[in-house]
This record gives sequence, C-alpha cells and structure tokens, in this order.
Amino acid sequence: MVSAAKTRLGTTWGWLALGIVSFLVASPVVVIVTSILNPTTTMWAELWETRLPGMIIDTTTLLVTVVTGTLLLGTALAWLVTAYAFPGRRLIAWMFVAPLAIPGYVAGFVWLDTLSGPLGARGVRSIWLCAATLTLTLYPYVYLFARAAFRSQGSDMHDAARMLGVGPVRTFFRVALPSARPALAAGATLVMMEVLTDVGTVRLFNVSTVADGVLRVWYATGSRDSAAELATTLVAAAILLIGLERLLRGSARFGRRASSRPLSAIALGPVGRTVAVSASVTVLVIAVGLPLTRLIIWAREAADTGATQTVAGGLWHHTSGTLVVAFFAAVTCIGLGTLLALLARRRGTIGRFVGRVAALGYAMPGPVVAVGAVITLAALDRSGVVSSGFVFVGSLAGLVFALTVRFLAVALHGVESGLERVPSSTIASARMLGARPVRVAWSVEIPAARASIVAAGALLLIDLMKELPITLLLRPFGFDTLAVWVWQATSESLWAQAALPSLTIVVVGMCAIGALLTALDRGAEVAS
Amino acid sequence: MRSKAPRFQRLIRLSTVIALAAGAAACGGDNDSGSEPRRVTVYTGRHYGIEPVFEAFTEATGIEVRFTAGSDPELRERLVAEADNTPADLVMTADAANIELAAAAGLLAPVDSETLTTAIPEELRSTKSEWFALSRRMRVIMYSTERVTEPPTTYAALGDEKWSDKLCLRPSTHPYTQSLVAGLIINRGADEALTIVESWVKNKPLYINSDSDILKAIAAGDCDVAIANTYYLARLKTEDANLPVALSWPDQDSSGAHLNVSTAGITASAPNPSEALELLEWLATDGQKLFSDANFEYPAALDVAPAEALVALGDFTADTAAVRELGRLNPDAVELLSRAGYE
Repeated sequence: MVSAAKTRLGTTWGWLALGIVSFLVASPVVVIVTSILNPTTTMWAELWETRLPGMIIDTTTLLVTVVTGTLLLGTALAWLVTAYAFPGRRLIAWMFVAPLAIPGYVAGFVWLDTLSGPLGARGVRSIWLCAATLTLTLYPYVYLFARAAFRSQGSDMHDAARMLGVGPVRTFFRVALPSARPALAAGATLVMMEVLTDVGTVRLFNVSTVADGVLRVWYATGSRDSAAELATTLVAAAILLIGLERLLRGSARFGRRASSRPLSAIALGPVGRTVAVSASVTVLVIAVGLPLTRLIIWAREAADTGATQTVAGGLWHHTSGTLVVAFFAAVTCIGLGTLLALLARRRGTIGRFVGRVAALGYAMPGPVVAVGAVITLAALDRSGVVSSGFVFVGSLAGLVFALTVRFLAVALHGVESGLERVPSSTIASARMLGARPVRVAWSVEIPAARASIVAAGALLLIDLMKELPITLLLRPFGFDTLAVWVWQATSESLWAQAALPSLTIVVVGMCAIGALLTALDRGAEVAS
Repeated sequence: MRSKAPRFQRLIRLSTVIALAAGAAACGGDNDSGSEPRRVTVYTGRHYGIEPVFEAFTEATGIEVRFTAGSDPELRERLVAEADNTPADLVMTADAANIELAAAAGLLAPVDSETLTTAIPEELRSTKSEWFALSRRMRVIMYSTERVTEPPTTYAALGDEKWSDKLCLRPSTHPYTQSLVAGLIINRGADEALTIVESWVKNKPLYINSDSDILKAIAAGDCDVAIANTYYLARLKTEDANLPVALSWPDQDSSGAHLNVSTAGITASAPNPSEALELLEWLATDGQKLFSDANFEYPAALDVAPAEALVALGDFTADTAAVRELGRLNPDAVELLSRAGYE
C-alpha cells in the first residue's frame, strides 16, 4: 500500500516536472504562435503587395537548392568513404565533418570577398552563390546521417546484391540508397531548419528570405507583434517539413546497428584511388582549406594594423563570453533534455508529445525565439515573481533561457536516441532488485546513454558558438561573444577585423567536432 | 564499461557544481560596491573612434564610462524590452530617426540645460529637448572621376536612365537610406519622393550594405555613381589620396544636401542621470572637436571648426530644416521604400 501510494506520488511529481519544464521552454514559442490570432491586417496587406512574394520565392528557391545540394554532396561523400577503401580514408572521413564548425555567415563573407574579384561586386551578390555557400557549410548534417545509415546496413544485404550480379553502382541505387532514405530525410530536415532560420548568410548576398523579413519588419516598424506574426509562417513551414519527413520515414527506423558484419569496403584500383582522393581533396579545399587560408591571411593583416580587438575588449574578453554562455546553455539543455527524455519515456505517447512541444524552438529562427523570449521575460519581470531587483531581460539567465528554448531539441533528441538502446528488460530487472526510478535513471539509463549525451553536447557547443541573433539581442550589458564581434565587423564590411574571432570560432568548433566523432565512434547515434 | 560509468557521473556532478558556483558568482558579483566611483553607462550606435573620446572625458571629470555598441534599431529595441530596468544612462545614435522614435516611445527624458541649448543650434535638437545632435553627417552623391565627367547634382538625377546598371545604393534596412528618403518626402512630398525612388530602382542599383564598400565599388568600376556619407570619402582619401572618387553636393539650388546627425539623449530611467548630463554637456562643448574629428564629421556646435580633411571637400548648403522631422517620417519612408521595390 505504502509503496503504491509513493509510486503514485512519484508519478504526480514526474508529470508536474514534465509539465513545468515544457511550459517554461515552450512559452516563448506559444507567445509567437498566438500572435497570429489577432493579426495586424494592414501589415499583411502591405507586405503582400510589396516584399512578401519576393521573400517566399527567395526562401523556396534557397530551400530547394540547398537541400538538393546537401543531399547530393553529403550522400555521395558518405558512400565514398563507406563503400570504398583508398589511402587516407579515415582522415578524410573525419575531415568531411569539419565544415560544420564554419558558420555560414563566415563562409559567406569569405566567398563574397574572394569571388568579387572575378565576378564583380554585382555578380557575387546572388542567390545561387548564397545557396552554394550554405550547401558547403551544411552538407555535414546529411553526411553524418548517411554515413551512419550506410555503416549500419551491414554487408549481408550488399553481398546478396553482388552475388546476384549487381554492380556496385546499381547496388548503391537499388539497395543502399532506398534503405538509407529515412536517415537522409532526417539529415535534410536539419538542413532545412538551418536554411529557414538563417539570417546572417542571406543578408550578405542580398537574399531576402522570410527570416530576414522578420528582422526587417521588426526593426523598421519597431513592432514586435508584426515581426511575431510574420515569424509564425516560418513555424508553420517548419512543422509542415517535419511532418513531411515523418511521412517519408514512414514506419522505418533508422540508425539501427545491424548484428551482421559491417559493410566491407571495396579496395579501389590505381585509377579509382586517384579519383577518390582527388575528389575528396577538392571538396575539402573548397569547403575548409580556402576559407581557413583566407581567414588566416586576414587575421595576420589585422594583427599588423593592430585591429585585434573591439571597443569592448580583446580576444579573451570575447572568447570567455562565448565559452561561458555556451557552457551554461549546453549544461542547461543537456540537463533539461535528459530530464525530459527520462520523464517522457516513462509516460507514453502523451509524454512524448509534451516533449516535442518543448522542442519546438528549434524550428524557429533565432530572432523569433529572441522576440518570444523578450516578451516572456519582460512579462516575468513585470509580474514581480522574482523580487529583490533581479531583472531577467538583459541578464545571463535570460540569455541562457532563450538559447535553451532554441536548442533544447538537440539535447532532447540526442538523449532520447541513446535511451532507446537501453532494453526495457534491463530497467525492469533493476526495478525488481528494488531500485527506485531515480536510481535506475542515474545508475543504469544515463550511463548507457553517455555517448549520445556527449555527442549531443558537442553538437550543442557548435550550434551555440555559431549562434548570433539571440546573443546579440539578449546579451547582458558589457557581455560580448566571438559571434557578436564577427557581426560588428562584417556589418561594416571589415572582413580583416572579423577574421580573428571567426578563426577562433572555427578552431573551438573543430575541437567539439573531434569530441562528436569520438562519441559517434563509441556508438552514439546522430540525433534527429 | 563498469569502471567508466562512475567517471561519467563524476563529470556530470563536476559540471553541475561549476555551473552552480559560477552562477552564484555571476549573480552576486555586481553587488559588492563599497565606495563606488562615479560612472555612466552608454548604449552607442557609433562604433568608430568613440573610445578615445570617452577616455578624454574620464580624464577631465573622473567619471568612468561603460558602454556597449550595437546598431541603432537593436539598441532601441533593447531599451523597449528593458523598460524601467535599463542600465543605460545615455543613448547615442548614428542617425536622427531612431533617437526620435525612442523619444516618441517615452524612452528618453527631456533635458533642461542652458549649456546644451547654447551650444547646439535649435534645428539640431528635439523640440522637447530629449535629444541633441553631436555631429553633422552629410549624405551626398559620389562619382567616379575616371568615368563621369558631368556628375549628377540632384538626388533625383540619379534616376536618369544613363545611370542604368551604374548606380550603387545602401539597402533600405539601413537607417541612412530611410532618413534620406524621409528627407525627400519632407522636401518633395510623398508622390514625388516615390517617383524619385522608383526611378532609382528602375536603374537596377547594386545594393551594398557599407558606405566604404560603395566607394570601393566605384573605384573598382562596379558602379559610376552612388550615395554615401562624406566621412567615408574623407577617411578613404587619407589612406589613398589618389582614390578616383569625388563627391558632388546635391540639391544645392533647392533644399540643400541631406543632413543627418549623430545624437545623444538621456534615458527616462537612467540610474545615473547627473553623470549622464555631465557627459552630454561635455560632448557638446569641450569634447566637440575630438568627437567630430574622430570620424571626420562636421561638428554640431557652429563655433567649432571642422577637420582639415573636411574643409578640402568645399562649402555647401545643408538641409538643416528637415532634421527634426526625420524620425516622425521614418515609418512613411520605410513604407515608400517597400512600395518602390527598393531592396
């Protein structure tokens, strides 16, 4: 009797915790979405007559081009390093992930400047170059998913195809590709989210997307409500795309580790080897080598002219800001993500749904989350819930909150995929041995999911370091990050001055990628 | 496996402890103020050359200046969000519209200071004295001295079809563009202003979001004529005297060249209003020369001489009358730019 009552009490607490965390994290999103219930008709009428059609065309063109580009590039590279053996394959396979550390807006200004010589200032500001830049920085998402899928397919399927006399190329199209479809869809969804929410890269190339329009409307009219309404269309688009992905994925599960031997790579002949290596090197030079070289040259130029600091401070001032905010936000996301994943897992479909609602912020552009967070935090400040003169708007806590709203999904999905690998029989045994749910979580489930948690943490760090709009709008007074520095320099087209902070972002990001790849090799699955 | 799990758990515990400790330190850090020095907190939309100016002020008065930089509209939105809780005492902007919008939103307090009203001409401060101009910035026509023999002399002339594919402009997201168009609305009326902007758009302008890049684009041959602020030319000319770009003072026979101002005002909830006033008065008097010269701008106070490099650019008539109206007409300008299809 006593234990039953206790369990029921535990259940209540669990639901309560789940509800409170989800409510807090979802409230900025809800604030935005409900703004559409009371639309500003004049704003919509004017937008529809002027910029909105162009924004929709640009956004759609960019989405289609970048998704196609990343799917082609990411899948081809993943297949190359999984199916074929050639010199340097391991290193190349790792390096293909490196562009993830280069923020789109950094690659953007590097290419803008590099190509403005041959193409002219006019030719370089084009949506196609913008799409190419985004493709080169975002393909690793598809690549990571595709590689995991190809690896897990096991060799039996491919052996069967080969025994039936099907060549390697046809095997790829008839066997490998169809069964990797869910993984590719998941990777492509991440790419779409990034494209939909990008505001830094598009503006460099004079591409006016809907996300850019949100900022435009907000700053030009000073009306948060109008900006929020426009942003709702992005949320709708994101939900639509996620739905589409679920549809494509169907009932298929992906990322399952096959019990059979892993796919054995075909050793390439001399010609094949040359082609494989030179293709890989070409991609790496364009995606990583060239941007890094330009940045290093610029950074040295800036060092020569003494332009190695901003009005706010030097490299350490900005780096420590980045590290502090990335650390707090990552810890918060991982903590809440683990809590939500554990709670939702024990609470079936409804629990999962509540978890999904909490993760909606990932589908929103940074500036929109910032708007929602400002409205939420300002309401909190006015309500006087927290007294003693503490103000959320413009505090580190407020900034971390907004970043959590935006990126919780990365942690939640990562931890979930790790927890899925703990068999329910193991948990049942632990319970039968008398362990309470909290102890089961602490001693059994979390340790089992640790590789996934580390992988999610690394992805989070990369995302948080690149993040700009939320930090820009919500950072505490006198608090600056590397991304803010890059933004201030690039908004005045001072590329040389933006190089040092950009390089620092890339280097720290590459360290995080190293952690990510190590964790992946130890068996974490890529978060969807 | 077994030995690794506790290590991972230790890692979790450790990061929790660090997070909590650092969080406590961050919350408590600001409060340990014994006999604090006098200081003033500034939000500034100006990024360049502002540091030595503040240092000179600290040296003169002993008041410490803390400041954060951002774009004008960002800072305005920040003030709106922070409302009564803002740490900002003084707001400085790079144009007249955003400060007027902030004043209209009740974010600034009227200032009663004879020093300021004596130093700054009446047209260059708001009617209720919520903000004061600190320097004058002229937005004019720039042209290539290599390819253009007869430079345009009016903003409207940039719509002539001979400049098709040869015009460079700053995007409408930038306050400078918005204020320029607000000026056109004031001087020419909304209909004519729309016709002028549409004629620019018809010339398929190249939009570049940086005045110095616009001048470099002229030098590189990407465009022949453009609109930009004079101090960018002055700055580039001091680096390279042979830069093949020159300016043409527009609308000299009518309203005068578009005049915008960099400004400052004291916030309505300033924690240190008296220090803020001291800084504002200093910038309008003793600091005028330093403040204006730091960025090759014309001083707002008429008795202060402009920098040498500016004298070389020649005399001109400025549209002083429109300055105070730029903020009120900003929404109209933004709408007009959208309607005209200006990027």
